[in-house]
Amino acid sequence: MQGATIQAPGLSTYLKSLKNTPVDASVEHFISLLKRRQIRNSRPCAIATTALLLRVVAEFKGRDAAKLIERIKQVGRRLTSAQPREVVVGNIVRRVLGLVREVVDEHADGQTPNGSEPGHMAPHPQHDSLHRPALHSSISTFSPLRHAVVEPTHAGIYPDNASDVSEHSRRPPLLTSHTSYAPTSAAPLVHSLFGLFSQPADTPSNTSTPTGQASPNGKSTLTALNLERLADLHRGQSLDLKGEVMEGIRELQDELETSDKQIAEVALEHIHANEIILTHTASTTVQKFLMFAARKRSFTVVHAETYPHDHTATHGILLTGKKREANPDDDGVDKWKPLTDVGIPVYVIPDSHVFAIMSRVNKVILATHTVLANGGLVAAAGAHMIAKAAKEHQTPVVVLSGVYKLSPVYPFDIDELIEHGDAGSVVPYDDGDFVDKVDVENPLYDYVPADLVDLYITNLILADTHPRTSTASLRTTTAPKILPCSHFPKEQAL
Amino acid sequence: MPPKGKKDQGKGKSGEEERDEPLQAVILADPFETRFSPFTLEHPRCLLPLANTPLIEYTFEFLANAGVEEVFVYCGAHRDQVEDYIRASKWSAKSSPFSRLELIQSTSYSIGDAMRDLDSRSLLVGDFLLVYGDVVSNLPLESALTAHRARRAKDKNAIMTMVLREAGATHRTKARETSPVFVIDPQKDRCLNFEQMPNRDQTHYLSIDPELLSTHQELEIRQDLIDCGIDICTPDVLALWSDNFDFQAPRKGFLHSVLKDYELNGKTFHTHIIADHYAARVRNLHAYDSVSKDIVARWAYPLCPDSNLVQGQSYRLQKGNVYKEEGVILARDCVIGSKTVVGRGTSIGQQSVITNSIIGRNCQIGRNVKIDGAYIWDYASIGDGSTVTKAIIANEASIGRRCTVEAGALISYGVSIGEGMTIRGSHRITRTKRRREQGEDIVRGDPDPAIVGQNGDGFEFQDSDLDEDDELVDNLVSEGPIYNLSNESISTLNSDSEAPTDFQLPQRHDRSATSSFLSVGSADSQHAANFDHDASSSIYDSLVDGTESANIQLELTALRMSTNASDHQVRRAVVSSFVKRITQLTKAGEPLKAAVAQVFGLHKELVERCIFDKTSVLKSDQVDFLLLLQADLCHKENGDAILLSVATKLVELDALEELGVLQWWEDGKSSENEDLELVRAKTGSLVEFLRLESEEEESGSGSEEDADE
Repeated sequence: MQGATIQAPGLSTYLKSLKNTPVDASVEHFISLLKRRQIRNSRPCAIATTALLLRVVAEFKGRDAAKLIERIKQVGRRLTSAQPREVVVGNIVRRVLGLVREVVDEHADGQTPNGSEPGHMAPHPQHDSLHRPALHSSISTFSPLRHAVVEPTHAGIYPDNASDVSEHSRRPPLLTSHTSYAPTSAAPLVHSLFGLFSQPADTPSNTSTPTGQASPNGKSTLTALNLERLADLHRGQSLDLKGEVMEGIRELQDELETSDKQIAEVALEHIHANEIILTHTASTTVQKFLMFAARKRSFTVVHAETYPHDHTATHGILLTGKKREANPDDDGVDKWKPLTDVGIPVYVIPDSHVFAIMSRVNKVILATHTVLANGGLVAAAGAHMIAKAAKEHQTPVVVLSGVYKLSPVYPFDIDELIEHGDAGSVVPYDDGDFVDKVDVENPLYDYVPADLVDLYITNLILADTHPRTSTASLRTTTAPKILPCSHFPKEQAL
Repeated sequence: MPPKGKKDQGKGKSGEEERDEPLQAVILADPFETRFSPFTLEHPRCLLPLANTPLIEYTFEFLANAGVEEVFVYCGAHRDQVEDYIRASKWSAKSSPFSRLELIQSTSYSIGDAMRDLDSRSLLVGDFLLVYGDVVSNLPLESALTAHRARRAKDKNAIMTMVLREAGATHRTKARETSPVFVIDPQKDRCLNFEQMPNRDQTHYLSIDPELLSTHQELEIRQDLIDCGIDICTPDVLALWSDNFDFQAPRKGFLHSVLKDYELNGKTFHTHIIADHYAARVRNLHAYDSVSKDIVARWAYPLCPDSNLVQGQSYRLQKGNVYKEEGVILARDCVIGSKTVVGRGTSIGQQSVITNSIIGRNCQIGRNVKIDGAYIWDYASIGDGSTVTKAIIANEASIGRRCTVEAGALISYGVSIGEGMTIRGSHRITRTKRRREQGEDIVRGDPDPAIVGQNGDGFEFQDSDLDEDDELVDNLVSEGPIYNLSNESISTLNSDSEAPTDFQLPQRHDRSATSSFLSVGSADSQHAANFDHDASSSIYDSLVDGTESANIQLELTALRMSTNASDHQVRRAVVSSFVKRITQLTKAGEPLKAAVAQVFGLHKELVERCIFDKTSVLKSDQVDFLLLLQADLCHKENGDAILLSVATKLVELDALEELGVLQWWEDGKSSENEDLELVRAKTGSLVEFLRLESEEEESGSGSEEDADE
């Protein structure tokens, strides 16, 4: 009886319920959780979306890829319309769609695994010069948020038949982990930022299909899978579409799990001894990053507490290493020692002191909610001020973001992207006069223009033959501007 | 105990994934009030749109948020509509967070009845949530539930936890007319005393049992709490309701009385006071206004229009808390000011200015219209050049050109207003009226051109309960005068059955229970005033239950003794309860004669036992009885007919003597004012008959009559 604690619905209850609920009910359930903001923020959204899509694919009957794509799209549309501001949901859906297309593609090219059409791999000349790729004709009218309601009318432009990919050769195919074939001619890809999404291949040989490295420990299973698939192909064209897509989604899940760790691995190259680092919010990504650096270096952290949205979590993470508010969601994952335990001095300051202290700060490290198509950020409120102050003092601003947060949303209308929260956290609701006479706005996020950001660090490595030596430089980029646009070749409009 | 353990084990085995007990909730979808008249004539209250979303959606959201698994919805009026709505909604779909969603139809006329009914159904296995169908809250309940359970584990008598929201001394969302006062022991979060302070009386006194002061180290007397009607109850609560069949209202009746009888029952109530999150009830139109504002201003986040709680909504937030759905048609030079919600398909004409308003779907707003602080529901249309301020315009209503709708006006479904009319703030215009005799049936009334103009449709709504008009209207306008007591009579007691004394609605309660009795002209002490209410309701309940009159008499005597009430009061209690019972029976379809015969025939003794003047010449008690009866029936439908048949019956039964009736007829008080005259008019024939008879007797055998006495 004592165990009968009623648990409010959230990510963990959702994941639990996912196992024994029919898919459609799960979709509805997720939608209502999104609407009620019981699942919020990028990571929980991403985790829930992948888990849900895994189920969707698993329960999909039939072998028709086009239908599978349609099905995923349909679910995706509903999810994004439930909470258009959680763009990560859309990102994950796009990744999964890309996965399906890849599997199909590969199958089409199955007989000659390395004989992919040159068009696939040779990006448009513009890409090499790091310019923005030519916009798709529809992009100017494109605002993903609107697709919440308005069905993409131009979706028909892209026939769902994946074999038509070559026609859209200027958009390189999505190269996700195991499904990606290492380019036969690696040269253009390596220099192109599109390679960001391809995993470093050991050797681009004819026989070896890609050896993904989404997670360090996933490697062996992957190669096994590849062999299996090869065998499959040999057996004669019987493509296990579902199985492969599901495998891909599982890898995506691995990626989500390990992205923080992967980002943290390059910390030593960015944080130097005796630096003063300024950060904000209770982001686990940032905390792990700092923690990694703290193993070898000693530095000082100044933490803006981001009152009133995140301060309890911030205080929690600094004092105990646990987000106080956090539900038992990320069990185990977000339990670690606070920075102070390893001898890093941490100063918590109110957001209003940021400018005053900026002159002494060596580096600003920000977490973000999403990275938009133009490189701008939607990050926790206060980020814009920090970035602005940093600019004023010529302090470098580094943004840590998992790849799943890069999204093809272009900020045509900034207001649309910013979630406005509970006015009660700014002014107490008890204050009757205030409530009656004053309009209170409480934006939860800030839009940070791209030119205020100096460096982005993501979890996936740019294509590289020697990952150990130069990962850092390749993982980071100062110009992600062209990334998200081209990142999802065909699914911009869900 | 052993069987229980076994049962638990079995349960655990059967559903190991499940938690041992699902959290259950009861929604009182119909609070048995008429505060939203005239809108509630045609639609149930819980489906009225609040910020373009039906009220009950918010309640469901709240319950889903709290992790509730089984929900029972108690419906009163318009059950079919509620049922249709819920059946089509996502809450009864497969994906609903509720594993069980049941509608319960009951014939109850009050919350008390509903609770007793619920107890008899024994649907609830463990602790449950009791909420109204109009709660808006984003409160996570875990902490309250945990606290409740912890208390419960320690003390079986901690039967209920009330969730209360802190709010300062003045707050728009607080009940305006009355302020509930909680006396709380802060150490144990225990509620020790509860009083409802009617603001209009300007009373500043609270009586506290001195024992409370001596037994508790600390006491908090708090008036700054919003009672949002969220209670965590144990099944004992239901049992308690059943034991006390006279409780009607959950706070004023139930809570107040059970707290008073702490010595007797030993049950304790607890409070869970929250200082963050949003919680409020849409209990009247004033609250409707302020909760709408709260929602639009995002105090209730994430319960905001742009969360699109209902499927098919597509609101998006723009700067200044403007929410627009897809497909809104705006003229180029119309102005949409801040804090406005506009639904799909609505078109707004040139140079119209809309501020602080909520406009539903598919509305037609003409050119040059000014709308401020108004609530306009779906498919309404407003003609060119009109001005609407702080009014409610319901579905499909249409306002002609160049009209002015002043602050506080309520325009109900389908009403149409002709050109150039001015609707004053006190008007409530509807097309339908309730036919009393047939309960819920409504009929269309004839249009009243004086109000709606030529070609208009609708008329001024006359509530047969005829109270609260002022309050309803003024409440929407924030600076409405405090409701003043109209010339209420005992008759309101009758309306109790229909809109009984809710705790949020205490002035009604007060009026029926206390002031209305007092208004008849006695200066009884507060103590004795309690008697009036207690006695009449207990007699009434006994009548309903069909208790023997001897038992009723016993109870009545006990009550009379304990409160030292006068015979006059006893008579009044008898009269009011009998009349109430009769009206109830006639409403249920029984012919008046039969109803009177049944009530008075069975319980003649009761009447006889409160009349002690049979032997005297001056029949003052009988006169008093009849006067009370007359006054009680004064404002009732068919009051005159009832009076006639009751008087006839009583004479027939010899409970009243001819002489008594005649003396009453002569008495100046019985013809004091018009109403009284009106009511007694029909009885004239009886009096005439009696007079003739007695004259005959006098002339014939006067001595015989004396012997009879």
